[in-house]
Amino acid sequence: MSKRFFRDLWSGYIALLLFFLLMWLWASWWMGDTMRIAYERSYVAPDAMLMHWLWQKPLGWLWILGRILLTTYHWPIIGGLLVAILLTAGSWLFGYCLRLPISWRWLQFLPAGAWLIWTAHVGLNLFYMREPGRILAIPFMWVVVLAILALFIAIYKARHRSYVVLDTPKKELSRRSMLTGDLLEILVIAACFALPMEYLTTRHPYMRPLTCMQVQLLNNDYEGMSRTAHKYAKLSYHQMAGYYAIALARTGHLADQLFDIRLEYDTIRAYDYGNQPVQCLHYHQIDCNYHAGLIRAARHRATEELTLDGPSLYILKMLAKISLVEGDWELTRKYLHIIGKAPFEGAFVRKYKPMIGRPDLVQADPEFAAILRVLPPYHTFEQFYLRPSFVGFYAQLKTFRNEEQLTWAAMACLYSKRMPEFLQLCRRFVGSMPPRSIAEALLIQSYKDPSILQAFPQLEMLQSRFDLFVQDAQPYMQDREAGATALFDKYHGYYPYYYIFGNLRSSRKEESKEEGTGHRNAGIN
Amino acid sequence: MKTSNHISHILHHLSFMAKVCGWATLLIACSSKPSAVPTAFTETTDSLAMYPDYRDVTIPPNIAPLNFQLNDSSATEFVVAFESEVAPKAGFSCGACEDGKIDIDLSLWRQLLYDARGRSLTVSVYAHRPAGWVRYQPFTMRVAEEEIDPYLTYRLIEPGYEYYSQLGIYQRNLTNFDVETVYENDRTFSSDNCHCINCHNFQANDTERMILHVRENHKGTIVTHGNDAYKMIIKHDSILASGAYACWHPTLPLVAFSSNKTAQVFHMNYNEKIEVYDAASDLILFDADNNEVRTILRTSDHFETFPCWSADGTRLYYCTARLPKMPEENFEANLVLRYDSLLYDIYSMPFDTVTYTFGEPQIEINASAQHKSCSVPRVSPDGRYLVFAYASYGQFHLYHKDSDLWCKDLQEGNLYPLTESNSNDVESYHSWSSNSRWQVFSSRRDDGDYTRTYIAYFDAQGQGHRAFLLPQRDPEYNLLLLKSYNCPELTKNAVQVSTEQIRHLIYNTEAELATYKE
Repeated sequence: MSKRFFRDLWSGYIALLLFFLLMWLWASWWMGDTMRIAYERSYVAPDAMLMHWLWQKPLGWLWILGRILLTTYHWPIIGGLLVAILLTAGSWLFGYCLRLPISWRWLQFLPAGAWLIWTAHVGLNLFYMREPGRILAIPFMWVVVLAILALFIAIYKARHRSYVVLDTPKKELSRRSMLTGDLLEILVIAACFALPMEYLTTRHPYMRPLTCMQVQLLNNDYEGMSRTAHKYAKLSYHQMAGYYAIALARTGHLADQLFDIRLEYDTIRAYDYGNQPVQCLHYHQIDCNYHAGLIRAARHRATEELTLDGPSLYILKMLAKISLVEGDWELTRKYLHIIGKAPFEGAFVRKYKPMIGRPDLVQADPEFAAILRVLPPYHTFEQFYLRPSFVGFYAQLKTFRNEEQLTWAAMACLYSKRMPEFLQLCRRFVGSMPPRSIAEALLIQSYKDPSILQAFPQLEMLQSRFDLFVQDAQPYMQDREAGATALFDKYHGYYPYYYIFGNLRSSRKEESKEEGTGHRNAGIN
Repeated sequence: MKTSNHISHILHHLSFMAKVCGWATLLIACSSKPSAVPTAFTETTDSLAMYPDYRDVTIPPNIAPLNFQLNDSSATEFVVAFESEVAPKAGFSCGACEDGKIDIDLSLWRQLLYDARGRSLTVSVYAHRPAGWVRYQPFTMRVAEEEIDPYLTYRLIEPGYEYYSQLGIYQRNLTNFDVETVYENDRTFSSDNCHCINCHNFQANDTERMILHVRENHKGTIVTHGNDAYKMIIKHDSILASGAYACWHPTLPLVAFSSNKTAQVFHMNYNEKIEVYDAASDLILFDADNNEVRTILRTSDHFETFPCWSADGTRLYYCTARLPKMPEENFEANLVLRYDSLLYDIYSMPFDTVTYTFGEPQIEINASAQHKSCSVPRVSPDGRYLVFAYASYGQFHLYHKDSDLWCKDLQEGNLYPLTESNSNDVESYHSWSSNSRWQVFSSRRDDGDYTRTYIAYFDAQGQGHRAFLLPQRDPEYNLLLLKSYNCPELTKNAVQVSTEQIRHLIYNTEAELATYKE
């Protein structure tokens, strides 16, 4: 075996193999959850009528094709494999078509690298408020176009022996230029793998933990969601906080862990349908409303998304589940029928179809049972509550179905720092030791109203930590943002810290802007 | 267990690949082949599962084939025989597609309905089960003498709450499955161009004169006269808001509009999902030939809405509700809390077709006395019957599950529900055929959420018959459609202005402001 043989092997195949493996790793491990959520935010079915709305749009056929490819992300490892194949094939074909000399072969990976950077650059707009079919349609079409071009070149080459190749004869290459080419090739391959990862982490740090939590929610892995949130506790985005709250509500830790993560809410880089910056405050609200028992508010938003973005598995599944909880059997049947038309979704249909017309089965399902426990206890209108509904409704709730709902209401008041309402609710805790955060909040309030200490004598046990906190907080009272950062490690999870230093930036402005992102006020139908 | 799951996954995967490979072929609808009626079979008492359910309905002699889908998991094949009761019996039979869909041949169907006009059809369904052929209990369809107006214009829109996206007004030829686009808004988002279209209305079931509204960008009211069309803004300081619900005078170039300040609220825990209410509403009259608008009724203590002309145009019917007593402070919030105390009666006013003046209102239906509420009154073109939606409260009965169609015999004065045509869910917006024998209306009876268009025979004795779903070439269509049918209107002829004409008007023409006349 000569050195030349290994050299040819490297330049011909090993580099591509390395690229392929790294791309598979990137697309299945690093981006697996993100792509899985992109798949859930998409819908495709082999039915002309169902896809007509997309087909009639400009390039609709291409987006349908992209959605078909995206279905492989039902299993991220398969989806990742497809992406790796597309990127590797595209890179090889690009190199072939350009007839790149060995020392310039690193160039062949640049288009794939550009696509990878694009996926990192767009963040949530990879699939949210944008066509999810784009994600894989772009590399697929790139491969198709290059394959056609390569075929023409091969035919032309075979017919015209005088075909002028740009490739420099290998023997004429100096050892130095070959080494430089090899090094550059390794560097570019590594960059294709690492740069998009780094760029995504810098530009959209919430993307992976957020989509990870969403996938965990799909699997009802609430403990996992909580762990993910704790792991990224210093990242603060509305969406992550929302999913964290769901996890805590489901695991019964809302009252003792809600303030464990930073709740300051950094800005998300995303754009609405009209390319205006948007904070995607509706992104998580369907899930939050649904799990908070506000199924009408969840249905409201889900219907709006269905209207604005067309059907997606996520929305159709949510509407099917809401219809089941509400006992709208025929509506459930309709949604399941449509979901069942999509490939790989048979399991979902098989799980929920038997529940149609069987309220006993609905009540026996753990997810539905948890929601039924916290349905709104009385008739009211969604507009009468603060937004977002899952906080606003609970912050203004006055009667309760059970203890669970009372605790949620108290926590919503604490989160929104609505202390008069909170104190009203706390009367119900008199005679018992309230949950941790509620007790800590009561201790703060006892400085204004000492009678609280008489009603809750156990609060004295918390006094020493509070005194320490007051001492530590004192220097930062004029610069709370600095205090938030400086004291986070020591006091995160401690309600007085949140009360003084948490959630300082008002999101009211962003929310009102968020509401203007579609075509509004026509849906009286 | 795990292995079987794995195999199941692989099978699903393979099935999907097969589907993908056959994508193009799936775009082509299956067509039922003529098939021989089995000679040997046993009768079954099993309930026939078919969608849509066309059993025992009365149908127009010019209606498109009533394709349907059969569901019998144990059957591998279906044959359906249609026979008319004329002697000698005429008819045909056809087989179902693999998925149980019956796609009836249009020419055979037309011939059959021609033969059976004024009589009944018998439909026999045969299913091939492992033990052999079985026949379900045959059912009948009665073919009426009277034809239905051949065109149905409707809007398709997602049943969204506050937002809209792509929507359009379409026209269906009821004698076949042809659908023409009257107008569609943009398919992609543009903040400068997005607009909503709604409330199309025709003069006396004729497309010679039509209106439709455009809201948000490029707003205005499109008014057509034959092949001509222009854009108006029917608004003035003296008017509450732009014209909303409209009704063309049957002979004069006049449109009665309601002018509404409409809003909606969303129930969090209630049988209904949405409440649409008016915070104020008046009636206005638009003279299409002179581009003039004037007030018909403006009251501070009443809401007036849903105007409707009598068949001869000498009387205007409308719904009106007394504003409940409540504090003036936080008016809208207080009004919302009293949403179920807004009860609409139907009144009418005489109209002088020479001086264009209205007389004193008189009550037609005192629904509030029964703690009920009326909406969408429509007088039959023969002038005999007034059909309206009737529910417990409010005026937007499309969101009230107890809303039914009721009828008042204007000659005899008696009032009754159209029981046969109604269902347990919403019946609302309805339209008459020009011969007064057919009604189309909106109903949510299929699934409670998506409005569908139903057709019902209305006999000479003023009784509504069992309604049937607007037939589609693919019977699965309505199960898959994620849009609602809105404002169904029957006409004798096709819309005369083109889609391009309307688009040009909307995009390139400045709307003319109507003159207000005191």
